[in-house]
Amino acid sequence: MSERDVTLPPRNGAPGAAPAAAVRDPYRVDWRTTGIVMALVALGLFLLPPLVVFAMIEVMIFALFASALNLLLSYSGMVSFGHAVYFGIAAYGMAILITRFGWPMWLGIAMGPLVSMLFALAYGFLCVQLTAIYAAMLTLACAEITFAIVFQWFDFTGGDSGINGYVPNMLGLSPGNYGLVVLFIVAAGMVFLWRIIHSPLGLTIRAVGQNPARAAAMGHGRKRVQLIAFVLSGFLSGVAGTLFGVFHGNVFPDYVGVLYTVDVLVMVLLGGLYSFAAGIYGAILYKVLDNLIAHYFEYWQIVIGLILMATILLSPSGISGAVQRVLTRLRGTRHG
Amino acid sequence: MADRSGEPFLSVRGLRKSFGRFMALDGVELDVWAGEVRAIIGPNGAGKTTLINVLGGQLAGDSGEIRLGGLRLNKLYPHQMSALGVGRTFQIASTFRRMTVYDNMLAAHNSASGHWLSLSAQRLRDMRGAVMADLERIQLASMAEQVVDDISHGDRKRLEFGMVLATKARLLLLDEPTAGMGLHERHDLIDLVLREVRSRGLTLIFVEHDIDVVFKAADYITVMALGQVFAEGLPAQIASNAQVQEIYLGGR
Repeated sequence: MSERDVTLPPRNGAPGAAPAAAVRDPYRVDWRTTGIVMALVALGLFLLPPLVVFAMIEVMIFALFASALNLLLSYSGMVSFGHAVYFGIAAYGMAILITRFGWPMWLGIAMGPLVSMLFALAYGFLCVQLTAIYAAMLTLACAEITFAIVFQWFDFTGGDSGINGYVPNMLGLSPGNYGLVVLFIVAAGMVFLWRIIHSPLGLTIRAVGQNPARAAAMGHGRKRVQLIAFVLSGFLSGVAGTLFGVFHGNVFPDYVGVLYTVDVLVMVLLGGLYSFAAGIYGAILYKVLDNLIAHYFEYWQIVIGLILMATILLSPSGISGAVQRVLTRLRGTRHG
Repeated sequence: MADRSGEPFLSVRGLRKSFGRFMALDGVELDVWAGEVRAIIGPNGAGKTTLINVLGGQLAGDSGEIRLGGLRLNKLYPHQMSALGVGRTFQIASTFRRMTVYDNMLAAHNSASGHWLSLSAQRLRDMRGAVMADLERIQLASMAEQVVDDISHGDRKRLEFGMVLATKARLLLLDEPTAGMGLHERHDLIDLVLREVRSRGLTLIFVEHDIDVVFKAADYITVMALGQVFAEGLPAQIASNAQVQEIYLGGR
């Protein structure tokens, strides 16, 4: 699930980093690292106590969700202040299709990410009409409207008590086995994301994100390209949201709410903008802090806030940037 | 020198553009033939950059007509102008600052390929040879792995020009291609531009303040003032035009 060993071309920091002696293929998926990480995670899922396994499952789901948001933040030049919509609405879509429309469970589950895609298409279409802070505020407005509807339309969405028991939680699997399911789907999502970013489409998205005027002068309409990125991000957020909904077997308005949106934004910032692995690092750190510090210290969010401040001030490229610097230094001493 | 017997490649009629009460373009008339190198000069505020911006689609004209190769193009967006073969550079070099030099050029090739929606990384790998050849041509191959933010202003200008070439534009609009460059660098760049434009048979319109560069490069010169074409002619004619000397050349 992690390909962070391969440096992304638009790397942040490390100005004038020496070109690697042997030309690495920057586009290929690093299957070796991916395999090793997946094997370690799988091992952990079966050896560690259930509470840790639950935490691992959440981390994996949020790693995918944060990485989906990172596609927007780091690559497409958009900011979403309402990304929980595309996470939570997948769970709502699946819950509503199964409970209100009597769809078979598996079909309902499969529809989750597609429901998110539809919302991303509709909201994204509105948001790309604007740029910068105006577009960002519009994403917030879309999210608030969605939250209000989900919260108040009691007959349809269950209001603040949500919808429960539409699927057996974790599909009736043991935590370890459900963890494996999540691991494979999240890994597939990450590989898909890597493939997008390192493809002609990804290059186009990055070009538009970095300099819309230049990209337009080369033939790329900003709106069209950003909408594609938004829909892809919505889809992957929906995959994460579906896994989350099935994990708990329920769905609440919080899933589309502002707290989840902020969580995932903080994860990307902690992980480090302009880095592929931002979502993975960020989700791990955030959830570890969430679980550990909350255990010892009631006001754990203050600690997260301080850590975020320190990150932004000391290492704006987040954890990925710090890791990158250490790796560069290690390589430098080895070859120098 | 371009053949001026047929229809002009680019034809602008009565083009107007105002910003509030300020008439930036006040009925511009312009004909440019295929294969021509046309300089646009004029004092600050004459409307040169506005004209380039309307031709490139960055701004929409208020009225008037633009024809390119017989097609009427009014109020098209930049990406549509690009699809019709219009490429441009900006006064301040416009590149992808967080990408490497290599990826900037790759992005240009990617745009030109028409497969920008593709998910196949192989397409990008296959462009390597052509990208490196283009970087070689603009003398940036040795900096391929540098992030554009870290290269010099002059190198960025060259890169931007190389990228526009790579998009296979037929009409190039260069807005002050040598602005902010040293004397030596300036002539190097304009030599490069001329070499590429001539050998590819492109049409070039450029705005330039450096009179030496203008007289060296241009087949034909258009002088603008107050949003209109004030004078037009061969370099020798412009150089000997007393009115032009007064409003522009003499006033420097």
